[in-house]
Amino acid sequence: MTVGNVFFVVASLVALFGALMTIASRSPIRSAVGLLITIVGIAALFLMLNAQFLAAIQLIVYAGAVVVLFVFVIMLLGPDAGDGEGTVVRARVARYGAGAFFLLLAAATAHLVSYAGLTPTRFKVAPPGHGSVEGIGTLLFNHMVIPFELATALLIVAVVGAIAVARGKPHVRRESKSASPTARMFHGPLMARDAQRPLPTKAERAAKAAGGV
Amino acid sequence: MSTIGYFVEQYVVLAGALFTLGCIGFLVRRNVLVQLMSIELMLNAVNLMLVAFNRQHSADLNGQVFAFFIIAVAAAEVAVGLAIVLAFYRLKSSVQSDEADQLRH
Amino acid sequence: MQAIEALFPANNYTLLAFIVLLPLLGAAVNGIFGKRLGKEAVSLLALSVMFVAFALAVVTFLALGHAQEGEEAARFVWKGWEWFRLTRADGSTSILDVAFSVDALNATMALVVTGVGFLIHLYSVSYMAEDPGFHRFLTYLNLFIFSMLVLILGDSLPVLFVGWEGVGLCSYLLIGFWFEDDKNAAAGKKAFVTNRIGDFGLLVAMGLLLYYTGGLDWSSIDSGAKNLLQPVQVWPLGSHVPAASLLPQGAEAWLNAPRYVSAATLVGLALFLGCAGKSAQLPLYVWLPDAMAGPTPVSALIHAATMVTAGVYLLCRLSFVMVLTPAAMAVVAVTGALTAMFAASIAFAQHDIKKVLAYSTVSQLGYMFLGVGVGAFSAGFFHVLTHAFFKACMFLGAGSVIHAMHARIHDTDASQDMRNMGGLRKYMPITFWTFTAAWAAIVGFPLTSGFFSKDEILLRAYTSFVKTPVATMPTPTGTEMVVFVWPTWLGAVLYAIGILTALMTAFYMTRLYLGTFFGEFKGWKIVKHWKEPAHEHGHDDHGHDHHHHDPNVQLEGPTPHESPWQMWVPLAVLGFLAAFAGWLNAPLFHIETMHHWLEPVFAKASGSVELIEGAEHLEYAFLGAAIAAFLGGSGIAYWIYVLQKGKPAQSFVEAVPGFHALVFDKWRVDELYEEYVIGAVDSLAEFFAWADKWIVDMLLARVSAFLVATTGTALRFLQTGRVQTYAAIMVLGLGGVGWFFVAPRAEAKLDANEESGVYSLTAAQGLGYSYRWDLNNDGKWDDKEKFGNRTQQSLNLAVKENRTVRLEVKNAFGRTAVRSFNFARPAPDRSGATSRLDADPTQARRVPDLGLLPKPQEMK
Repeated sequence: MTVGNVFFVVASLVALFGALMTIASRSPIRSAVGLLITIVGIAALFLMLNAQFLAAIQLIVYAGAVVVLFVFVIMLLGPDAGDGEGTVVRARVARYGAGAFFLLLAAATAHLVSYAGLTPTRFKVAPPGHGSVEGIGTLLFNHMVIPFELATALLIVAVVGAIAVARGKPHVRRESKSASPTARMFHGPLMARDAQRPLPTKAERAAKAAGGV
Repeated sequence: MSTIGYFVEQYVVLAGALFTLGCIGFLVRRNVLVQLMSIELMLNAVNLMLVAFNRQHSADLNGQVFAFFIIAVAAAEVAVGLAIVLAFYRLKSSVQSDEADQLRH
Repeated sequence: MQAIEALFPANNYTLLAFIVLLPLLGAAVNGIFGKRLGKEAVSLLALSVMFVAFALAVVTFLALGHAQEGEEAARFVWKGWEWFRLTRADGSTSILDVAFSVDALNATMALVVTGVGFLIHLYSVSYMAEDPGFHRFLTYLNLFIFSMLVLILGDSLPVLFVGWEGVGLCSYLLIGFWFEDDKNAAAGKKAFVTNRIGDFGLLVAMGLLLYYTGGLDWSSIDSGAKNLLQPVQVWPLGSHVPAASLLPQGAEAWLNAPRYVSAATLVGLALFLGCAGKSAQLPLYVWLPDAMAGPTPVSALIHAATMVTAGVYLLCRLSFVMVLTPAAMAVVAVTGALTAMFAASIAFAQHDIKKVLAYSTVSQLGYMFLGVGVGAFSAGFFHVLTHAFFKACMFLGAGSVIHAMHARIHDTDASQDMRNMGGLRKYMPITFWTFTAAWAAIVGFPLTSGFFSKDEILLRAYTSFVKTPVATMPTPTGTEMVVFVWPTWLGAVLYAIGILTALMTAFYMTRLYLGTFFGEFKGWKIVKHWKEPAHEHGHDDHGHDHHHHDPNVQLEGPTPHESPWQMWVPLAVLGFLAAFAGWLNAPLFHIETMHHWLEPVFAKASGSVELIEGAEHLEYAFLGAAIAAFLGGSGIAYWIYVLQKGKPAQSFVEAVPGFHALVFDKWRVDELYEEYVIGAVDSLAEFFAWADKWIVDMLLARVSAFLVATTGTALRFLQTGRVQTYAAIMVLGLGGVGWFFVAPRAEAKLDANEESGVYSLTAAQGLGYSYRWDLNNDGKWDDKEKFGNRTQQSLNLAVKENRTVRLEVKNAFGRTAVRSFNFARPAPDRSGATSRLDADPTQARRVPDLGLLPKPQEMK
């Protein structure tokens, strides 16, 4: 009963507990906390697997950014973030049925794999520097430099996209019939004829949908 | 006694369990935010499995680098996903995934 | 003459092209520009092309006469271009050209067509002068002449057929000339459709001739005609009658016994069907009386002189084929005789002058076919000639009368009704005298043209018959088919019908003649139907007043008057010909010009036509009988209608009103056709309408659409728009994929080499598969029941040995599947000429049927 065994058992139990809390909590903030606990558990397991750098990254990015984002959004939404009232029974049955089916699939897979007759192999001694910053850095900047740059681009695009999607209403366009085409290209609308007809606001749209039809 | 925690199969089973939990969470829960969190769970499970196999075949660090990229992409995905949740909330004033049926027949 | 012979040699006689194409040119110009050219230009063009065509026909006739000094048949040919060529399987080709040829037969006919055609064109210029479709009329007339010339001058059956169809078309256009009236359009349609039924016969004949004689132009048919003397099995179609096995033995044998007909008979009957349609014989005559709905010049040209004689021309042209089949010739003769009598009977009761003339035409056509049918080709053709003259003269005369009546009564039916006429000889002398000449010809007044031609036909009907070409023909089954022999009594029967019809013809034609031109004019009292014309009418400028006085006062309205010169000059010419053309061929006086002229054309056919014994002595007796028929018929008519003032006829009508109604209604043949023939087609159409509505629309269209829509509705439940639903379905799919991966498959491919007997099995590979074989099928797995990696096994089989091999497969998940394979090595095939060693090596590797369809054993 070495430290490693205990550490593994504790970390896995923590991760599992966090996962259960994520999926089973009624309140979303509790789910977020559960996610956080799972991430910490997984970071611990990474440590167990000689992935120190990755464990740190896990904590920084996941626990420090992703979960924080979740919490931000939950706070923004306020009370609307939680689950609503009950749904149609048929839908609930379908949902739980799907979940149960997947559970069944997982169990069957586990059962089948156990019959495969594999002999468990213990970890060998890890080579020195396995999972170290230098090791990953060498790999990243030599062989994997292109995926690395692409990941950078992806992140930038994601930021821009998130801002674009999450922005509020477009600001009301001013009368730009006197504006130059260049100004119109920036401020919109692109076509001069649309300048006479500003887009309807949400209230106008709702009123039109309700009363106009 | 170096048995528990030193066999790759244990990590695989654990990762499988985490993945299953995440998938069940996605299929069962109505709340969009919880669904997103379940997706993160699944990604984490996969990361764990990757790193475990990399520990077993430790000639190079490909597994860990793969996991590294998964983390990066997951972060980007969460950012965009939450932005979508916000836009959706603005449209429907709710975060129930049942409301998101605009593409219904 | 020599200049013409030098310019136009016999084998490239270009004048023919001119004769044929000039009317076409006239039709084209008049048709396209007619409205703009105006009446004078249109009529000038139409008349001049006709006149030039006639002149060229005369030149051709004279040149031909000059060339035919000896006994050899002279023939001028002009070849236009090659139309098509057919190549048969044995390599022989038939070439068909667009070519025209003249010999004695069609030179004479061309003279008639262009000459009478020209006269009728001249007549129409005046008759149709006020019609708004004047240029259209002359266009159609020219087009008709063109088609008719193509028909008679064509060198082959297809070219003739082009002309045949062309005259049918023009007949339709001209009958329905005043198409705004439904009745006229329907009459045109009826003519065309009835013609078409006959055309089917002509097409069948063309096909048969092409098959048997190898060609379709006259010379090819002539050289191959002897091939027609073979039997054709007409019953049963195929090898046996289906369902005949249900009958008792004797009846079945009788039903299945093959019946043969000689090919020549089939051709002859098919040709006659075509002629029956075009020349209005039973049963396809029904269009001709209705065709009187067209303008009278049309009736004169088409339905008296030219188009309806095309059938007679065809039989004369193919005389050398027709004489090979006495059966078909007998059918022609009998049908002709019956038609003659049948039509004459209908003409008894008609009041419309044009209808009487129409039935008279049908009747006279029957005479022509009677003449042709017994083998008297030149007699039949001579009757064509004389009929053209007197019938055209009568129709034009009737037109003149109608013209005068129409000025009084602007109603078509009333102006043609004989009961409104009478005593017109005072008012229209020229018409009267020409009509008298024509009447004399048709009733057989001695020494007129009709007398000579009809007398000759009647004589030949009794005395002439067609010889049987061969007594028997061998059939494929080995029996001999007996060929039809002309019955000895047929001549007498035909003669009896013919002379009776002559009597009837004399009667009803005299009735018409007396009723129209003699007695009191009965058209005065009808004038109250006359509508006051709003504009100046062409006939009103004869100095009379329009005011309505007491209708009983005579001399009101325009009196019937003689027609203008364009109308009576053709009448005079035709009347003259009707009276005196008979002298062209008067065997009584030993003048046989026409017969001599046509002899080379019918030389081949005449060899098969014989006269009964003692024919020479019957001539004078039959002459007496013909004169008696004339005197009897016209005498009775004179007695009834002039002396008794029509009272016997009246009392007859009152005595048997039903019978009279039947005859007046043309024996209700049209109604019969309407009921059964058209009714059958209508029922078929109704059935198809039902099938369209219920099967195509309902079953195929709506039911299938409904099924698709229902499936769509059912599937739409999956389309909730929610990602969670889609994820759940993905999980289900994942289950299926997993199932596929988890279950092992035991399959193997067999490579069979039958020559050497080496059969090798290659098992299919998969994820983590391991294999276990049982090669000798002893129930125990080989190799100590261990799973190995051996995927390929080879076996040696002896000849005709049967082997079963089992394969068990285990995959990474420990699941197994078993399959057994059964195959045999067949005996080598020694029946082929090529030995196996020479065979294509890739051919030897054939995969036999192993029964590799799934029979999987249970899965553990």
